[in-house]
Amino acid sequence: MTLDSEVQSLRQVPMFRDIDPARLKLLAFTGERVHFSAGQPFFRQGDAADAAYVILDGQADVTLDTPSGPLKVAELARNDIVGEMGILSDTPRSATVTAAVPIVALRIDKRVFLELLNQFPQMSIAVMWELAKRLERTNARLAQSNS
Amino acid sequence: MDKSLFRYIWRFSKREQLAIFAVVIASLPFYFWSLELPKRIVNEAIQGGAFTEGNGEVRFFIISFDLPRLMGGGTVELFEGFSVDQLGLLFGLSTLFLTLVLINGAFKYVINVAKGALGERMLRRLRFDLFATTLRFTPSTLRTVKSSETATIIKDEVEPIGGFIGDAFVQPLFLGTQAATAMAFILIQNIWLGLLAAAVVGVQFVIIPRMRRVQLRLGKERQIASRKLAGRIAEIVDGMEAVHVHDATAWEKAEIGDRLHHLFDLRFRIYKWKFMVKFINNLLAQITPFLFYAIGGYLALKGQLDIGQLVAVIGAYRDLPPPLKELIDWDQQRLDVQIKYDQIIQQFLPDKLVPLDVFAAREKEDGPLAGPIAAERLRVADPHGSPLVEEFSFELPFPVRIALIGNGGPGPSTLARVLARRHDEYAGRVTIGGRDLGRIPEGQLGRHLAYAGPEPALFPGSLRENLIYGLRNRPVRRLPDEGPQARRRRMEAERTGNPVDRLEDEWIDYERLGVEDADGLDGVLLGALGRIGMREDVYRFGLLGRVSSQRMPDLAEKVVEARHRLRSTLAEQGLENLVEPFDPGRYNAQASIGENLLFGVAVGPAFTGRGRAVNPVVRKALDRGALMDDLVAIGARITETMTEIFRDLPPGHPLFEQFSFIDADELPEFEDILRRVAAKGLKALNGEDRSRLLALALDYIEPRHRLGLLDDRLRQAIVAARVIFRKELDGSIWARQLDLYDPELVCDAAPLRENLLFGRIAHGIADAQSRVMRVVSAVVDELGLREEVEKVGLGFQVGPGGRLLAPHQRAGVNLVRCLVKKPDIFVLDGGLAAYGEEQARHIREGLLAAFENRCFVAVLRDEGQAEGFDALIAFDGARAELRRRPATAPEGEDADAAAANVAGGHG
Repeated sequence: MTLDSEVQSLRQVPMFRDIDPARLKLLAFTGERVHFSAGQPFFRQGDAADAAYVILDGQADVTLDTPSGPLKVAELARNDIVGEMGILSDTPRSATVTAAVPIVALRIDKRVFLELLNQFPQMSIAVMWELAKRLERTNARLAQSNS
Repeated sequence: MDKSLFRYIWRFSKREQLAIFAVVIASLPFYFWSLELPKRIVNEAIQGGAFTEGNGEVRFFIISFDLPRLMGGGTVELFEGFSVDQLGLLFGLSTLFLTLVLINGAFKYVINVAKGALGERMLRRLRFDLFATTLRFTPSTLRTVKSSETATIIKDEVEPIGGFIGDAFVQPLFLGTQAATAMAFILIQNIWLGLLAAAVVGVQFVIIPRMRRVQLRLGKERQIASRKLAGRIAEIVDGMEAVHVHDATAWEKAEIGDRLHHLFDLRFRIYKWKFMVKFINNLLAQITPFLFYAIGGYLALKGQLDIGQLVAVIGAYRDLPPPLKELIDWDQQRLDVQIKYDQIIQQFLPDKLVPLDVFAAREKEDGPLAGPIAAERLRVADPHGSPLVEEFSFELPFPVRIALIGNGGPGPSTLARVLARRHDEYAGRVTIGGRDLGRIPEGQLGRHLAYAGPEPALFPGSLRENLIYGLRNRPVRRLPDEGPQARRRRMEAERTGNPVDRLEDEWIDYERLGVEDADGLDGVLLGALGRIGMREDVYRFGLLGRVSSQRMPDLAEKVVEARHRLRSTLAEQGLENLVEPFDPGRYNAQASIGENLLFGVAVGPAFTGRGRAVNPVVRKALDRGALMDDLVAIGARITETMTEIFRDLPPGHPLFEQFSFIDADELPEFEDILRRVAAKGLKALNGEDRSRLLALALDYIEPRHRLGLLDDRLRQAIVAARVIFRKELDGSIWARQLDLYDPELVCDAAPLRENLLFGRIAHGIADAQSRVMRVVSAVVDELGLREEVEKVGLGFQVGPGGRLLAPHQRAGVNLVRCLVKKPDIFVLDGGLAAYGEEQARHIREGLLAAFENRCFVAVLRDEGQAEGFDALIAFDGARAELRRRPATAPEGEDADAAAANVAGGHG
């Protein structure tokens, strides 16, 4: 697996879909490919958010700590991004993410990611656009559950 | 130091000066003779004056002297001389003249060397005196003294003074007598010519110094202006942060520009005067020969002067201006140097200094400072007169642990500084054991009292050197002077008032510290570091440190053992994939291509960065391994990617520095290389371009950079080239610049950590670094190596001002430095500011326990921190109150009244 295949994966992430290939390559190059073995956590709920991860291969579980033990709330698969909210909002991790099977992920460092957003408005707009869409979806869901 | 430079010089160099005087006086007869001789050459030999009476031959070089009357008079002839003809006489006299020239030259040489040595010795003494005086600056002086200015004074400004010192007395004597001799000679030959010469000299002597005085005044202004410029630049550099934060660059530029203009103006005026003086000097020098030829020639034609005399007078006159000019120079220098000296002395006035006797008594009085601490009507005010501590008296027994608290006001800290004698401007009396604090000798105070302030002063050097800084008070055992070099060093030191102590002497009193040697002291240091929670830091420094297989063979052996143990432990825990070991026969995927090829650690620049790509041995190995083209192609592929992804980043962007193979400013050049590759292919590149591409390829690490540029064939070829490289390197001039990896040996050039791992932690495995380091730590413990590693860590270089340490580490070094000297009194003033709340409490408790039988004074934030202290002094603004007394003090109403008396004056 090389930089080019990572760029292909990044392209599948909605947030990065419309970004120049050269930028994605820079993002991939400044990122770090990380292997997790099954059961190894990416991060735990409450940790400081220092990086986002794009899953290149494998699956991960998202769990919340509840009084009655960990509660699995979502599953992540290939080309999913996780942890990006933490680095954008500068808040601690809101959930625990654990590798379900051996995973290969691209780790995007918080500082580097913010540098890139700073430098390239196109990337910032893409991120905003994605966040706005999520907000809209949440609003829609709220409206649904209220009605 | 004396107010007058001349007195200072005379006081310390009388003997040498007199010796040089003697040589000067001895040289004069020879000088006079050398002036006289041309006359004889012209008159007797050339014009044949000696052969007038038909003599074909004369006797030459008769050595004889007249006997004094007392012994009957007459002449004793020691040598009857050679009998020579006219030509013989000419050559004989000329040879004699040459000999005299040589003798005069030799005298000059001897005098100059003696002067030089004298000047250098006095310069050394002067510099040392100034430095020793600097050490005596009072704390309040130190607040206003600029370090850069003091350094400039000691280094640069005394330099011309030193140059002058050798000349101070000798030069006027030497030149004056020489000029007088020449003048006398001229006068003897012809009174008119003599008066003429004297008149010109007189004019020169009156006008020139006056003009130069103006020049000097300007020079003095220039010196002050340029010193201020230096100080101002240093201030701006120190405060650069503020300059940028407030965008004051334009303001500061204007300020410096202004100063530079002022300097320019001064310098230009100095030039104008200087060249005017030169002009007049030259004019006078040129006019006199004219007069001599004209008037002297006239007198010769008239028969009042013979040709020989004229030639000799002209010769003598030619000798006159240089000494005179130098004499005038000397006079100017004298004024100049006296001004400089006065200015320097201004900076070191006695009222800025701690009295000398506080320093002097260090040997005699060295008892402990265990005694009651008391203050009587103590009042402290800041420089503007507002009170820092209002009138306050107290008396506390020894041992005592005193807490000083205040609501963030300066009171507690001021009192702490007064007690540690870091603040000496106060009214009233402070006593320790009944002795006035101000009169306790510096040496005794320094050994038995410790003060940890908020800004620790660390010096460049190792951690260890900084920790034991307070233990090196004076040599406890001097090494014997061995060899002529050491004896000469001692002699020179004694002659110039410098210390004879040597840094190599034994400075640490191990006995007093209760240890046997330096190794034992290391143990004490580590123990102290452990108590303030710094041991882990030192361990980490140790892992970054280097182990010399030469100097520490035992440790080196254990490191190799630990290396093997680490490997097996990792395997047992199923973690062997986290570290890829260096294997002479295999490609290490986690290391760069260059590292795989060299398979060692560079010691010098020949095998780092670009040097690696142009090194002939590397090139040869690559050529013979048929790798060159492949690697250049890899370099080209890297360039392609780099130029593609970094093109739009502005130069200097942090991502460039962190990630790019290519510097921002080199990017365009690499783009040009790519264009040439596209046009003509890789083969057509010149050597320089190929080297640059090769350098990129050598830095490439596949799992980290992920450009997919390596395959098995290349990996094998690189391992094969490694063998060729080793063979080529062996015996080449670069062999010592590379420390090769050997599984059974320690690599001296690599940090201890690398030596333990002897491989690379795999890229891209989550958490690999910390997991491996945990195993390393376990293995180190298992083999009992931890303390050894920590001792290596004590050699960690802390950088200028300790900048390579974190703030809490600097504070820790400061604390340990204070504690290892086992003070009777320890004043802690903000020394824990760099620590977190929890750790500060922990350290404070440790100190309280350690000082149960000594005196501990701590400035604390609030009363809550004062738990466990025997006494508590609380400040409300500048008003202090003794709120808690030691439990041993008698209780009850009487005691309270007594305490109120003791603490009186604040009600």
